[in-house]
Amino acid sequence: MDTVKVSVFRRDPAVEKEGKFVDYEVPREDGMVVLDAMKYIERHLDPSMSLRWNCSAGKCGSCSAEINHKPSLMCKTRVDSLKGDKIKVAPMAAFPLIKDLVTDVSENWALLKKIPKFTPKEGLEKPWRISQVDIERSKEFKKCIECFLCQDVCHVIRDHSTDYFGPRHVVKAASLDMHPLDTLNRSEFMNKDAGLGYCNITKCCSEVCPEEIHITDNAIIPEKERAVNISYDPIAMFLRSRKQRRAKA
Amino acid sequence: MRAASETSLRHLIPPEFLEPNWRFWSFVMISILGTVLILLYKVPVFDGLTDPFYTPTVLILPLVVLFRLTCYAYRKDYHRHLFNHPNGCATDVRLDSKKRGYSGETGFFRVENVHRYFMYTAWAILPFFFYDVYVSIVYTGAITVTLGTIILAVNAVAVTTYTFSCHSVRHLIGGYKDCVNCPANLNKKNSLYRLQSRLNGHHEAIAWTSLIMFVFVDLFIRGMIGGVIPNIVLIHSGL
Repeated sequence: MDTVKVSVFRRDPAVEKEGKFVDYEVPREDGMVVLDAMKYIERHLDPSMSLRWNCSAGKCGSCSAEINHKPSLMCKTRVDSLKGDKIKVAPMAAFPLIKDLVTDVSENWALLKKIPKFTPKEGLEKPWRISQVDIERSKEFKKCIECFLCQDVCHVIRDHSTDYFGPRHVVKAASLDMHPLDTLNRSEFMNKDAGLGYCNITKCCSEVCPEEIHITDNAIIPEKERAVNISYDPIAMFLRSRKQRRAKA
Repeated sequence: MRAASETSLRHLIPPEFLEPNWRFWSFVMISILGTVLILLYKVPVFDGLTDPFYTPTVLILPLVVLFRLTCYAYRKDYHRHLFNHPNGCATDVRLDSKKRGYSGETGFFRVENVHRYFMYTAWAILPFFFYDVYVSIVYTGAITVTLGTIILAVNAVAVTTYTFSCHSVRHLIGGYKDCVNCPANLNKKNSLYRLQSRLNGHHEAIAWTSLIMFVFVDLFIRGMIGGVIPNIVLIHSGL
């Protein structure tokens, strides 16, 4: 029988100090994805293995893992798309491990709460009407399924302890900033308090995003450009202060 | 994407040679080649064709270089392949990242925030490329379109496209606005912003194309001087 060799990271932090990769062999099926192989292992080979999954359709963002060192959704990675004779599956290294492939991503909920909330213009007539042309930009970011692969691949989050919130959170701030009815500008907050300056535009977040959101081009760079307007561009700063003075007068 | 650590070459070849980084190394090679050519082997205006390295704008070349160096496309290249932060997106390509200090664009590289000012100087250089195309057409006193004219024109268009597909242009022509079709700002469809956004999506590829065009044009003109390449006359008519 044709089989697929899978090497899965196993560790229970409650009893083990170090983790190890354990090899399994799973029957190969046409069109199978890595999640199918993992489910097979859990059902037939080792029920003690922990993994998290829900929709199996790339829409819930639960089955994030590092497959052959690339942060990916297990349910969207076809086995026949992977090179090499063995598939290596590891948990996301940027987050605390709960067990085996399951990580604790709850730190992201705390970060999301810190981003200033949607603040619409006062006295707007309801229902709110928004043109398609205006909602398109912020709608792209609504596709985010919060799989946190972008956070996992970001070298700033993985390797360095900084105050950078990470790509997912810049996407969140950009989706609010670019909302046509929102009145706040979060770029100054993102630059000063959320460590936007630590991002060096290396675009790994865009490469791994399963929803193909152009994280760097459409969220991070526009937020950086807005922050330049506020903190670095003397002409823009002068125009802005003049506008504010006029508004007060 | 395959991590270098999986191969036996891991300890022999540094990971930067195993990741696709041809754009960065071609930038380095072109910079060296360009400098050598400018300093050692000067090209006069030949057959009405001005080498793009020798337009009068060579005086502001350092500013144009700074425009490229602070460009969002090139930042990706050198942060990845020169400073290895990160070297590639495979999560354990280079295992020493944690040990090395990192300040991103908060320390020295804060200078990248004035990219748009270098862009303004790059705008100043653009008319000269088109002037060179014009000169190559009228230098005989008649209207002459040669293969060289076409190549100079393609180069001028490539460098213009690169300059105007910049992320800073995108911000300036509409990216800063949250709303273009609100009651206060009715029926502005921001088609320019949308067109520019489409170009901007290919900014990295355009950056490399326009860079390599310089060398191509330079080699073409040198080839003509050396008599290797004929400058084919396509159209010639008296005024």
